[in-house]
Amino acid sequence: MAAPRSWVLWSFCCRGSSRVLLGCRLPGLRSSWPRGPLGARPLSQEKRATETHFGFETVSEEEKGGKVYQVFESVAKKYDVMNDMMSLGIHRIWKDLLLWKMRPFPGTQLLDVAGGTGDIAFRFLNYVQAQHQRKEKRQLRAQQNLSWEEIAKKYQNEEDSLDGSHVMVCDINKEMLKIGKQKARARGYKAGLAWVVGDAEELPFDDDKFDVYTIAFGIRNVTHIDQGFPGGTVVESPPADAGDTGSRSGPGGSHMPRSGWAREPWPLSLRVRSLCSAAGEATAALQEAHRVLKPGGRFLCLEFSQVNNPLVSRLYDVYSFQVIPVLGEVIAGDWKSYQYLVESIRQFPSQEEFKEMIEDAGFQKVTYENLTSGIVAIHSGFKL
Amino acid sequence: MRTLLRGVLRPLRAFRSRPWPAADVPLRATSHGTGLLYPEHIPTSPLQKALLAAGSAGMALYDPYRHDMVAVLGETTGCRTLKVLRDQMRRDPEGAQILQERPRISLSTLDLGKLRSLPEGSLGREYLRFLDVNRVSPDTRAPTRFVDSEELAYVIQRYREVHDMLHTLLGMPTNILGEIVVKWFEAVQTGLPMCILSALFGPIQLSAQNLQVLVSKLIPWAVQNARRAPCVLNLYYERRWEQPLKALRQELSITEPPMHVQGPA
Repeated sequence: MAAPRSWVLWSFCCRGSSRVLLGCRLPGLRSSWPRGPLGARPLSQEKRATETHFGFETVSEEEKGGKVYQVFESVAKKYDVMNDMMSLGIHRIWKDLLLWKMRPFPGTQLLDVAGGTGDIAFRFLNYVQAQHQRKEKRQLRAQQNLSWEEIAKKYQNEEDSLDGSHVMVCDINKEMLKIGKQKARARGYKAGLAWVVGDAEELPFDDDKFDVYTIAFGIRNVTHIDQGFPGGTVVESPPADAGDTGSRSGPGGSHMPRSGWAREPWPLSLRVRSLCSAAGEATAALQEAHRVLKPGGRFLCLEFSQVNNPLVSRLYDVYSFQVIPVLGEVIAGDWKSYQYLVESIRQFPSQEEFKEMIEDAGFQKVTYENLTSGIVAIHSGFKL
Repeated sequence: MRTLLRGVLRPLRAFRSRPWPAADVPLRATSHGTGLLYPEHIPTSPLQKALLAAGSAGMALYDPYRHDMVAVLGETTGCRTLKVLRDQMRRDPEGAQILQERPRISLSTLDLGKLRSLPEGSLGREYLRFLDVNRVSPDTRAPTRFVDSEELAYVIQRYREVHDMLHTLLGMPTNILGEIVVKWFEAVQTGLPMCILSALFGPIQLSAQNLQVLVSKLIPWAVQNARRAPCVLNLYYERRWEQPLKALRQELSITEPPMHVQGPA
């Protein structure tokens, strides 16, 4: 049954860019894959496509997800303490800068991916609340009296201090979300907050749902940041019913079928998910970000990046490789997780490369801003 | 993570320098086992060892329940002393045998049923009683990670496993008072910097009464016995389970403790 498959692929390939990546996850499939019409792709690169980096180690893609999960499971409890120790508290400033760049307006729907312990979410809620209070103060100063409904709501504690803003915190790791929920309870955040288990590569949300998508220090842990392009295809292994693969556990298993393709069984029970369709099925983080954002929505990514100053770079290297694993061992009792952390930072693409990857996913007006000489960079793009 | 095209273009980007870590920084390129001396080995630079030693010492004082910090302190500071200990073991016939055969004391290697069936007063039976009463297990010892020699890693592992034996030999429980007494004994016997530091700084957290008892009676007794006794690492405990404890104590010239130290409630 190779003919209908290759026709489907060929038609999509012709429409899209010349870059086609076949992210075959099933090793058995490779041998039956038609190679001729899809361009001269040597076998070695195809094999390499299923391997990826875990720090400086090379692991298979299936392994990476599991290993990253274990890393964050073990660091979850001490995550915030370690962040403060390792960055000497500067990570708070970075996250504040991300919020200031975002400048959410009242009523923003924010999706914070890999936001496990809720740092960005809490800052967002603080910002929106502060904005609301400032607005009220302005109104009162301008001698604009509040309406009776507003006053009644205030007395009944029904006032929406967030003006309809809402943040959805999504993380693949349940331990991190647990810590986040505990923090929220401890700090008294109740309204406007939701916690969802989900995989950045397969978000359990509908299309065009959010105004802002943020991912802070999470995207380098994702196995496929940008696999596939408009016009490319990705072969998914069965089963396609939601909830079977561990990473696709949405809230209550309510994974919405995205297009007719996913429902139609192929003769060899393959599912081909088209990246071209308006519903925009994607299996990679940037593609998913593009999908769930409303038109006009903004993508913001805060991530460690390449340092541009040679002196700072040298100091940073010494600090990263000599001090951080030691801190991890002494404070959290875990050397290897923090070794992975510093190595994964080195493996992440540079600012320009990442900017190109974001543009390839369909975002426009992509810019980046270096913080602390490039130790950290905020990339921003719009879905227009 | 990389796109196909990027993979193809990678060789062309050789001149776009990526700030790889400097040459003297230990890379984890050998994390799959080729550069590791033993399975749990983590190679560390001298700076890292120094930082680890300082950090673990501080953390062990701050949080006395962090036994792993005491272990790390021992591994990072014990280089020279471990060599001396190993040479001492080589010179002794029983010790040399231990170095060659590398026995381990863990729940998987111990035959608990057999130990339980041994007569009262024998080393095996008393050791088992010690484990039960204090609710400890020989498996809670962390594996050695920061020692840069396979043989020395075994020596320190053996030292940790013999630590429980020492509790039995000296009749000390696993509360803080008992631990300090055992540490004084070990400090004199082995000379490990970690033991010396623990012996000197451990008593900081004790109450005045305990401190008085410690200084006046227990420490002099421990030091005296440690000086008299041969190196405890040279005993092949696995072959001495049936030996009566009293006889073993006599062999090592260890006297009874001057007072009974109450075990953990």
